[in-house]
Amino acid sequence: MISPTVRPLMSDSDTAGRASADSAAVSQARRTPAAIPRLQPALMPNEAPGTATPATKVDLRNINFFYGKFQALHDITLPLYDRRVTAFIGPSGCGKSTLLRILNRIYELYPGQVATGEVYLDGINILAPGLDLNRLRAKIGMVFQKPTPFPMSIYDNIAFGIGLYEKLPKSELDDRVESAIRRAALWDEVKHKLRDSGLSLSGGQQQRLCIARAIAIEPEVLLLDEPASALDPISTQRIEELIAELKVDYCIAMVTHNMQQAARSSDYTAFLYLGELIEFDETERIFTHPRVPRTEDYITGRFG
Amino acid sequence: MPAEHIIKSYDEELARLNKMVVEMGGLAESQLAAAIDAVVKRDSALAARVVEGDATVDQIERDLDNLAIRLLALRQPMARDLREIFVALKIASDLERICDYAANVAKRSIALSQAPPVQLVHALPRMAQFALLLVKDVIDAYVEHDADKALAVWTRDEELDEMYSSLFREFLTYMMEDPRNIGTCTHLLFMAKNIERIGDHATNIAENLYYLVHGTPLTQARPKGDKSSLEVVGPDRTAPR
Repeated sequence: MISPTVRPLMSDSDTAGRASADSAAVSQARRTPAAIPRLQPALMPNEAPGTATPATKVDLRNINFFYGKFQALHDITLPLYDRRVTAFIGPSGCGKSTLLRILNRIYELYPGQVATGEVYLDGINILAPGLDLNRLRAKIGMVFQKPTPFPMSIYDNIAFGIGLYEKLPKSELDDRVESAIRRAALWDEVKHKLRDSGLSLSGGQQQRLCIARAIAIEPEVLLLDEPASALDPISTQRIEELIAELKVDYCIAMVTHNMQQAARSSDYTAFLYLGELIEFDETERIFTHPRVPRTEDYITGRFG
Repeated sequence: MPAEHIIKSYDEELARLNKMVVEMGGLAESQLAAAIDAVVKRDSALAARVVEGDATVDQIERDLDNLAIRLLALRQPMARDLREIFVALKIASDLERICDYAANVAKRSIALSQAPPVQLVHALPRMAQFALLLVKDVIDAYVEHDADKALAVWTRDEELDEMYSSLFREFLTYMMEDPRNIGTCTHLLFMAKNIERIGDHATNIAENLYYLVHGTPLTQARPKGDKSSLEVVGPDRTAPR
């Protein structure tokens, strides 16, 4: 849950005070996804009548992405469902990590990288200009392939992020730190050494610390970029189990090169190739009976 | 077949699995053909060879099981590859059952050849030849991964069921006409039932092949031609119609 101290991405008072040049972009941003016709460039799941489709948390519409002149993504339209895990798979360079990086606009840190199209988070276009990026990134947490703990204590690794958004009394902060570490299934291993450096932990523990750090600020969407690819099999399974526990509360998008991992831990799978979305469907369908031959070639190891 | 795997040994192992299924299929055909021959020619030596030959089929099935387990554990197959292995396992067990039935027909033919020859034995081989045709066609369909051909076998089994029903009635009539026929006819009835079951296994194979090719099961109900299980014979009736 979002605590009341965290303001929504765009409140009415925000938009009212803004210059008129901005208001067009804002009204664009506030268009609800329901008002937009569905385009289906890739194969989308057959929604069988009577089966409840989960609610769409993030709605990507006609996303194109450019690294300078090179177009890395072509017209990607894709939903990310709430309380579900969506895996992005595809060969290196297919654009899956790029797609993840669009969702929290982290690409804007680099010059020459441009995204077009719309990404609606609960109906608000997060690619629209004038958006508060700090608040966006508080709503959309990210964990990277290589564990990236801050060079500070385990406790401060978690408390630091919370402090950026909220000023809490010490006891409340302690509770938040503990609950984040517990939810990342790390508490029993670190509870006696919270003042030790985060860097003293093993790789698998560091990665869970990073997940704890991401969920400590109570985001709504979690982006995992190959969260277990640098970990041993046991740590990998811990992370996968953790993903299964976290999806009860979050919308999770995960990039992975490990197809067994995508098959085990995701509910939906998107297969990308050369910057295009080839097929998006329930994970079970993708790995047992995909509809596009190119998807089947890839998942069965037949890619030339 | 789809494109080759990046890892060549994976393709080789899948091809080996395929070959073992086809080999079992070839044996199922030859065992059944030999069993029919043994019945027609009253050749006990041939029948004995069919009974012995069953062990070879069992051995290939065990080898196939091992290879399939190995593939599942080491290759972690997905999608079509997974179906290929799953279906090979199922088809192998159907083929193994077909061979069991063929061996049983052969075994009973030894008993029949010890009794004086009777005209009614000739009704059986025609049905058996038809079953052999179904087995042959479904194995051809597997070799070519041809779902349409498999579907044709699946539909034609109805005819075999009808043949069985009519044989059932015929044997009942013979038994009622002359109780001395009961010994021979009981054997013949079991043989006919075995052959009818062979047809059912052929349709199982056809269904699995359909699933392998299309990825979805054949859900339609199969036409049934055998009504013999509903028939009774009472004191006031002759053979039921």
